[in-house]
Amino acid sequence: MEEIKINRLETTKKIGPMINQYWEKLRQAPAQGKKTAWCAGPLLWMTKAMDMPTHEMPAYAAWAGGRHGAPELLEAAENDGFLPESCSYHRVHMGLLANVRDGVPIREDMQLPIPDIMFTAPLCPEMAHLADSVYRRFGVPVVSMHCPTPYREADIERHTDWMERELREVIVPALEEVCGRPFDNERLREVLIQLKEAALLRNECWEFFKLKPSPWTLWDYIVSMGPFVILAGEPGGVEYYKELKAELEQRVEQGIPALTQEKYRVYWDALCMYGWFGVIARKLASLGINAICGRYPWELFPRPWLIDTEGDPIRAMAELIGEIRRVYAGELYPQIVAELVEEYDIDGLIMFSFRTCKNWSMGQQDVVMEIERRYGIPGILLDADGIDPRYYSDAQIDTRFLALAEMMEGRKKLRQRD
Amino acid sequence: MVVAGVDVGSLYTKALILDSAQNVLSYEIIRSGFIYQEAASSCLDSALKKSGFNSHDIAYAVSTGYGRARVSSANEHISEISCHARAAKWLFPEVHMVVDIGGQDSKVIYVGDHGQVLNFVMNDKCAAGTGRFLEVMAEALSVDLNRMGDFSAQSRNVVEVSSQCTVFAESEVISLLTAGSNREDIIAAIHRSIIRRVMAMVGQLGKKERVTMTGGVTKNSGVLRELEKSLDTTLLISEEPQVAGALGAALIALSKAPNRNHLN
Repeated sequence: MEEIKINRLETTKKIGPMINQYWEKLRQAPAQGKKTAWCAGPLLWMTKAMDMPTHEMPAYAAWAGGRHGAPELLEAAENDGFLPESCSYHRVHMGLLANVRDGVPIREDMQLPIPDIMFTAPLCPEMAHLADSVYRRFGVPVVSMHCPTPYREADIERHTDWMERELREVIVPALEEVCGRPFDNERLREVLIQLKEAALLRNECWEFFKLKPSPWTLWDYIVSMGPFVILAGEPGGVEYYKELKAELEQRVEQGIPALTQEKYRVYWDALCMYGWFGVIARKLASLGINAICGRYPWELFPRPWLIDTEGDPIRAMAELIGEIRRVYAGELYPQIVAELVEEYDIDGLIMFSFRTCKNWSMGQQDVVMEIERRYGIPGILLDADGIDPRYYSDAQIDTRFLALAEMMEGRKKLRQRD
Repeated sequence: MVVAGVDVGSLYTKALILDSAQNVLSYEIIRSGFIYQEAASSCLDSALKKSGFNSHDIAYAVSTGYGRARVSSANEHISEISCHARAAKWLFPEVHMVVDIGGQDSKVIYVGDHGQVLNFVMNDKCAAGTGRFLEVMAEALSVDLNRMGDFSAQSRNVVEVSSQCTVFAESEVISLLTAGSNREDIIAAIHRSIIRRVMAMVGQLGKKERVTMTGGVTKNSGVLRELEKSLDTTLLISEEPQVAGALGAALIALSKAPNRNHLN
């Protein structure tokens, strides 16, 4: 049987250096006399409006995982007394703090300076815990706002009003105080304009996922999320998506698919296994499985036409946070998955049950059953961590992927028979 | 010509030879050891010898289990989930749920009307609820693993082994012995502990009649009794439940063998 290979996009090779450069700029900022901010939660667009070099909690943890820097950081955290069962994203940061406070050795490219201020709009309790740790260990002032979890669509409007007030009354004054100047609404507007432009281009790229076979994989998209997070407002984000779209168009013209043989298309739930990104992509590809879409990567502004770049930027910012929170809503979770299954003609579900992240793992089995009931497609739960190797097992993942491929094949044959 | 199924598990390797009429000609079960390739080879050779055929007579071979990639003579690797489902349906057409408790993992599988896997839940993250747990406990209690069922049948008092972790459970067992509990009651508690883990998996999918149990732990009558009690059902049990994976693999091999009409 011929080996199935991945045809890697050229454009995506550019994002790694852009992100590495971003973290290097943050590392160098204090020496250049710049004040830096850490963010746990969706406030980095606010700090970027003040041109503050900014860290973002999941972005750093994912990057550390992808660069294979996580094990050392996690070990440093455990040596500092942190339980291995606790959130691995929080623990990599605790390893980072152990390096700053006690000189515990970690890789140079994983090091970051302690910030001048920390902002948190917790999407989960662990984000609040990180802020607490930064405050208790280093006395860094923490400014927090509440980011309520919606349960129904109707909650989002009400929450948005609340968050708008918090942004105006809590976050803006804190930024003005630390930066020593008025909050720059127009700079925030520029960031939002750039975000919207990149997201609209991104949505055009998503259309290519509907093709069978698809010219790109979900992994190509995930590595391309930078322009909506830490690279938002930075030069190059929009240009990156223009190039990506052009390359996808070229692939379609030339008949180049992402996998040399796409047999099955799957939905991937929750975060990614950043520590084994390439490994997972290759394991799935070897079975002819192309990962096409997911709730987490679709979290960032799936409806960019709603971003209001003409009105009040603070209101627009609150609406953006509300849009991010939408995928967390209990009532909407199965519906969002169902919409993606239909839109992209999905054959199966992989629910990545991130071992140390309860936030993204709740309700996964229920969703598998519900989608099975509605569409007759199978799903598996994958129990591992995104960056902690303690919870990773090749054999266990191989067994589940193989079983899923067999289930999808079995369902296809039954449908053909019917 | 015949077909072969080889199931290379963490503790035991099983091989089974089938003819074109789906007759089980022979099977073999050996300890896997740590060189899976050798275990697979040796087990298959032994099964073949018993069947009266040799390796050249194998039209198609399917391997399964954790060591499936190490079976060099296999034409194809299939997951043990699919193999157990296939075997269960062949053995008992009325089955819709398989509870498999092996050496290193346990699983609950929903089986469709055609023997296809509809859904499954697997515990491979923790030794509690697997054959390994029983091995550790048998050692701690100085009891022959094969006699644990007999011991638990004589239990008269309810004690609890509540730990989720095999290591903690072992120290809990020692504490119970020190406190004066007898082995019969402790072994019964161990069996209940395993079944609690299994029932949590059944709970995720919901019980579906009829139910069969596969895997080596099926030979423990105490575990079997506890599972029947918890499921409130009479389990369908094959003559040799430990080879279910190999049987399923052989059945799949038969469906894929080229020129299957020319098999013997």
